[in-house]
Amino acid sequence: MFNKILIANRGEIALRIVRTCRRLGIGAVVAYSEADRDTRAVHLADEAICVGPPESRRSYLSAPSLLSAALVTGCEAIHPGYGFLSEDDTFAEMTRAHGLAFIGPPPEVLERFASKAGTRTLLARHGLPTIPGSGMLRDDAQALSEAEQIGYPVLIKPSAGGGGKGMRMVRSPRELQQAITVCRSEALAAFGDDSLYLEKWLEENRHVEVQVIVDRYGNGVHVGERDCSVQRRHQKILEEAPSPALSDGQREALTENAIRAVIAAGYENLGTLEFLLDRDGNYYFIEINCRIQVEHPVTEMLSGLALVAEQIRIAYGEPLGYGQHDVALRGHAIEFRINAEDTEQDFQPQAGVVESYLPPGGPGVRMDSHLYSGYEVPPYYDSLLGKLVVWGPDRASAIARSRVALDELVVDGIVTNIPLHRALLSHKTFLDGEFTTNLLDRVGSGAFLAAARAA
Amino acid sequence: MDGDARRTIAKLAADTLPRLIARMTRSELGELEVREDGWRIRLRRPIALSVDAQDGPGRTQSDRSRGAGGPTTGAHGERITSTGRSGQAGRADLSRGSVTSPAVGYFSSRDGIANGTRVASGDVLGHVDVLGVRQEVVAPIDGVVGGLEVEAGQAIEYGQRIARIEANVQ
Repeated sequence: MFNKILIANRGEIALRIVRTCRRLGIGAVVAYSEADRDTRAVHLADEAICVGPPESRRSYLSAPSLLSAALVTGCEAIHPGYGFLSEDDTFAEMTRAHGLAFIGPPPEVLERFASKAGTRTLLARHGLPTIPGSGMLRDDAQALSEAEQIGYPVLIKPSAGGGGKGMRMVRSPRELQQAITVCRSEALAAFGDDSLYLEKWLEENRHVEVQVIVDRYGNGVHVGERDCSVQRRHQKILEEAPSPALSDGQREALTENAIRAVIAAGYENLGTLEFLLDRDGNYYFIEINCRIQVEHPVTEMLSGLALVAEQIRIAYGEPLGYGQHDVALRGHAIEFRINAEDTEQDFQPQAGVVESYLPPGGPGVRMDSHLYSGYEVPPYYDSLLGKLVVWGPDRASAIARSRVALDELVVDGIVTNIPLHRALLSHKTFLDGEFTTNLLDRVGSGAFLAAARAA
Repeated sequence: MDGDARRTIAKLAADTLPRLIARMTRSELGELEVREDGWRIRLRRPIALSVDAQDGPGRTQSDRSRGAGGPTTGAHGERITSTGRSGQAGRADLSRGSVTSPAVGYFSSRDGIANGTRVASGDVLGHVDVLGVRQEVVAPIDGVVGGLEVEAGQAIEYGQRIARIEANVQ
């Protein structure tokens, strides 16, 4: 096993990785920016090394600084966490070129799965249904005929980038012609690339994803699915497993298809395959995430597997050592993303001092957070403060435990989205397990919260 | 002075200088230097503040640089020298400038630089080797090198204090 690894990330995930390293007896070196000097991960690490100023571009996104930090501290591998450089094939390649292991898929695997369109074609070849879509759009005439074939409504999507820029849903040829010009200029401005394609728009869809683990030798298992349908503007807010939208038969078909396809396509290490699920239970593959995900604890609660440890083992070259029959999923788990956001002010990110932090406890309650009383939330990074993950033998008891845990959780001094989670737990659509990805945006988060307060 | 130079100066005065002043006001930077069209503009706060945090028995090398800023290279080729952060606890000394590491890597000092060497602001004192690329370590103020803390070949982190410059020592 590795003697020492560099953790090239921050916040709760850096802390999560430090904990795994300590348990496995691996030396943990935390690379941090000047803004993160006084964080839990830095304090708990065996060593910590400042790699740059607060600005991510010059710290957590600076490949030379991170590699240099790994080399001067004598690390053998780099764990990139999520976000930042976690899926960057060039960084993975540089890491290897400097004689270090990248804890994630090898660079050629990252490269193979880098393009969303290419990945869909690849996995469709290995038997996964993909969402009906077009090739790259050349001109308006071609766009119109492609849209006609797919059937309205369609989503215009830029080939490059993400985050909703250059993206429009259109319901008619007239709307398509109008929107395509706007999308082209938006995409060009945001990503320097104006190529667009079309995708079938599913009116009421759910977001369901499958966790896979594949070793270097082609052995792999799936660890069930997670339902991430509670979203606001394409950002996940709450995740749960198993998905209330799938029957046992549908679940088995989805998860088994997913693991078969990624093994056949040559995937390696931890990964997540994202699918859209329509009202009739049809599922369509949309993309693969080649990293540990924010919501991975949901799967850990059900399976008892330590996913970060699995990631490190596989990157070291160990064989998986167990098969699908050894993976047992028990009960129900829900994760609440606790964000420093003001739900009353259009979810504006907040920064400032956390005056008081008291995590909840009790059976089945896990809090992954880097907070402590007196911690100052810096303004430079994402607004995730932590994740409350609650397990119960079934969905109803997981929800009951979640209510108690959310009431017990104290984060004072900074505005958080905890009220939104409380509102979700009293919302009939959520309680019935029928949340769809567009629900919060359609109702409007403000109206949603107001309704919950009135109830 | 030819017309080109005049136009350049006018542009620097009208566009660049106000931008730099605004940036300096917003930030806690002690000094800011920009090269543009062959010209060099350097802004410095009236006094060079340095925060000399007392170093406890360090568990890690990171602990040693607590409270230190760092001369770095920003966007637009600006060289930014942070000589201490305002509003931070610590002893402010009006006659000393901290020299801190601009990068994480291995340090090497320039020949002839030692305690007692007289240097001018902007002088290169050494380098930090980042994957084979050398990044300059420069003096933030005029003065005399004192308290060199880092040996050649030593691993160094971003912002770590390398030396102090004692200003106006007779």
